[in-house]
Amino acid sequence: MRRWVENDNVDMVAGLVASSVTIATTKVLEENNKLGLVNGSAASSITNEHCTPNHIHYAYDTYPLANGTAGAIVKEGGKTWYILTADYAFGHSMEKDVTAVVEKNGGEVIGSIRHPFPTPDFSSFILQAQASGADVIALANAGADTTNAITTAAEFGVTQAGQTIAGLVVFLTDVHALGTEVAQGLQLTTGWYWDMNDEARAWSDRFMEETGARPTMVHAGIYSSTIQYLNAIEKTGSDDSQIVRKQMMDTPINDMFATNGRIREDGRMVHDMYLAEVKTPEESSGEWDLYKIVRTIPADEAFRPLADSSCKLVSSK
Amino acid sequence: MSQNAGKEYEQLRISGLHAFYGESHVLHGIELIVNRGELVTLLGRNGAGRSTTLKAIMNMVGRRTGSIMINGEETMSCAPHNIARLGVGYCPEHRGIFASLSVQENLTLPPVVRSGGMSLEEIYSMFPNLYERRFSQGTKLSGGEQQMLALARILRTGANMLLLDEITEGLAPVIVEKLGEVLLALKKKGLTIILVEQNFHFAAPLADRHYVVEHGQIVEEVSASELHAKQSVLDGYLGV
Amino acid sequence: MSMIFGVPMAVLYGQLLIGVINGAFYALLSLGLAVIFGLLKIINFAHGAMYMLGAMGTVILFDTLGVNYWVALFLAPVLVGTVGVLIEYFLLRRIAGQDHIYSLLLTFGVALIMQGILTNIYGVSGLRYSMPDVFKGGVNLGFMFLPFYRAWVIVAALIVCFGTWFMIEKTKLGAYLRAGTEDSQLMQGFGINVPLLVSLTYGFGVMLAAFAGVLAAPIYSVTPVMGSHILIVVFAVVVIGGLGSIGGAIITGILMGVVEGLTKTFYPPASSAVIFLVMVVVLMVRPSGLFGKEA
Ligand SMILES: Nc1ncnc2c1ncn2[C@@H]1O[C@H](COP(=O)(O)OP(=O)(O)OP(=O)(O)O)[C@@H](O)[C@H]1O
Ligand SMILES: [Mg+2]
Repeated sequence: MRRWVENDNVDMVAGLVASSVTIATTKVLEENNKLGLVNGSAASSITNEHCTPNHIHYAYDTYPLANGTAGAIVKEGGKTWYILTADYAFGHSMEKDVTAVVEKNGGEVIGSIRHPFPTPDFSSFILQAQASGADVIALANAGADTTNAITTAAEFGVTQAGQTIAGLVVFLTDVHALGTEVAQGLQLTTGWYWDMNDEARAWSDRFMEETGARPTMVHAGIYSSTIQYLNAIEKTGSDDSQIVRKQMMDTPINDMFATNGRIREDGRMVHDMYLAEVKTPEESSGEWDLYKIVRTIPADEAFRPLADSSCKLVSSK
Repeated sequence: MSQNAGKEYEQLRISGLHAFYGESHVLHGIELIVNRGELVTLLGRNGAGRSTTLKAIMNMVGRRTGSIMINGEETMSCAPHNIARLGVGYCPEHRGIFASLSVQENLTLPPVVRSGGMSLEEIYSMFPNLYERRFSQGTKLSGGEQQMLALARILRTGANMLLLDEITEGLAPVIVEKLGEVLLALKKKGLTIILVEQNFHFAAPLADRHYVVEHGQIVEEVSASELHAKQSVLDGYLGV
Repeated sequence: MSMIFGVPMAVLYGQLLIGVINGAFYALLSLGLAVIFGLLKIINFAHGAMYMLGAMGTVILFDTLGVNYWVALFLAPVLVGTVGVLIEYFLLRRIAGQDHIYSLLLTFGVALIMQGILTNIYGVSGLRYSMPDVFKGGVNLGFMFLPFYRAWVIVAALIVCFGTWFMIEKTKLGAYLRAGTEDSQLMQGFGINVPLLVSLTYGFGVMLAAFAGVLAAPIYSVTPVMGSHILIVVFAVVVIGGLGSIGGAIITGILMGVVEGLTKTFYPPASSAVIFLVMVVVLMVRPSGLFGKEA
């Protein structure tokens, strides 16, 4: 990465997945005054304490995920919460965010359990969550841990018994792997869904033709952010990172990915987020027909307000 | 050795047999012949190569050259598990009783290789001790009982050539006597027996012929009738 | 409700049962390792990969040929067992009798190759295998909801474990195995085809692993790396039980499942380490393992 930027004169870096790698990379970008477009990473700290003038966090982050999902569920009456937390930094901070959101909305966290990462068998933890009698079992974990926990919960009849599962970091591919049979009724927050409007659908059809699968919000984010970047270069006739960034910040984003999108001074691209619910097998008309959008979370409400930001770039600081 | 004895049948013919354990060269051109129904001993001092000769017949040594014919069939390229199928029963030095098997399991372990073997009942009536203790662990038998077990289990297989290595080792005289009776009975049934023996007084009255092994070679052959005449030569070889 | 150290009894019973279920997997896997070690004197590092092949095979057989669960329960272990026999025949046999390090590296290499190939084709994110319809749902035991499938896992694993134990301790074939473990050369001298026995034993050992894999397919996430996680735990189980004891492998497997389950209740962060802790303690107090013969 350092070699690309320093020796090969690469001007822009896109993608960037693991949060810790992303944060390290953005430092290199800042030293060299290049530009990074972050899509895959989840940590909201990337545009908070770790913000730089040299990257833009585009598709989503943990803040709207916790806020959107947990907030919505408390409002629907899920008052008592039990949290299954992956026992490492990401899980801990997720647990903290969720607890804050739940309490702010008048709910209560009555228990939590920290499970090893990764955990191949969740039966023991699900059993404990079940015994807690909480209205909601929240999963402060990701990837295989989340899908394993959801599968096990379905097996042990958690939802039939009246408890709700809240997955906090759930991607389309996870739900696809789980299937509607197991994941039905699961509520989650997403920055984009392939079937949410005509423009998204058209683009997704092209993606499907190329890859054989439907895109996630990360795929769409990478595409959208790259187009925005190239447009900005075309407009300004420059490839200087700050000129390009300024141009991108001045351009509202409304495309196949984002509605009401704009890039804030901290590098956060805010846009409407969506609370989605996984369809039942009866509702689902195909392999990838997985979500129904329950609510649109307006851009200003979804992401961490600048007022709460600890980013050095925020002018009011 | 006389080849003119009418219908004599060569059950075993070994010629030019060399055997090696890794780098160490143990047998240096063994030559011997055993006819059907004969009881032949291999005598010699410790370390002479007698056990190794039996193991070589069983294809249980590292490497061999030369020729070993069993029933007129060359066996040098025969896989170890196919030797027994030619009707060979092997009773190893130190008995080779399996600790994790019961007496009865030990007894029935070797597959039957020919018809005409003894049945379990016959064996139990020959060795009543084994019957009484048939469910105990093989190695929980006394030394003598284990020796009987080691012998009995190859009698069941129907093997018609027995390779017996030091079967009297460490046994009380009464049991040795009993084993002698068993061997005579087997000989009467027409079995061929090759006996590696330290106890010359046990072997002498049973055997038709004796081979003396020294440094991996046959250095002397003595038939039962010559025993008296060659006694001093034998004593010299055996260091008695 | 009565409590133990702040944990309701009902939860405790549930955890015990869950422990037995997970222990059933450990038992099946360590049993196979013990069988293989007994005759071949090698520690089979490919065991986890064979477990994975059983699970992946079940999914792949279903996805490509529509093979259902019951057929897979039989077919996948047989196929994996065949792979095992081939591995023994073409690879392990060549290094028989050499230093342990060779067989260790070889089996480890085989595991990595299998993992690598399947990762290339299927990725590591996990395949989905739907629960067979007959197992949907469960029964409320009062202290917990027991999914039918988990109950089946216990039953199936116990049947196979007991069957294997019976086969080894009580039958003629088992006597060959036990005797071969002690002195395979003498066995050859008796006319027993030991090389064949060795191939079949290896095949059988990995079949047990594959069977565990099939059982795991509907409840654990099926990925090419699933075997490497569980293998390390199973090695610890085998060390605790003492290599070479068939009954010991089964009992220790179930016992360690329970120990792990209880740890998940009382102190979850230690649950992935507790088996290794037990291992260290056992090694200090009884180096040959709980059921191993004292050296
Ligand atoms: N497994 C082995 N590896 C290496 N050398 C061996 C092995 N077995 C025997 N030898 C050597 O081969 C030679 C012959 O041994 P063998 O066992 O045939 O002697 P023996 O005539 O049966 O004597 P004993 O009366 O002591 O049984 C000995 O020098 C011995 O050291
Ligand atoms: Mg000897």
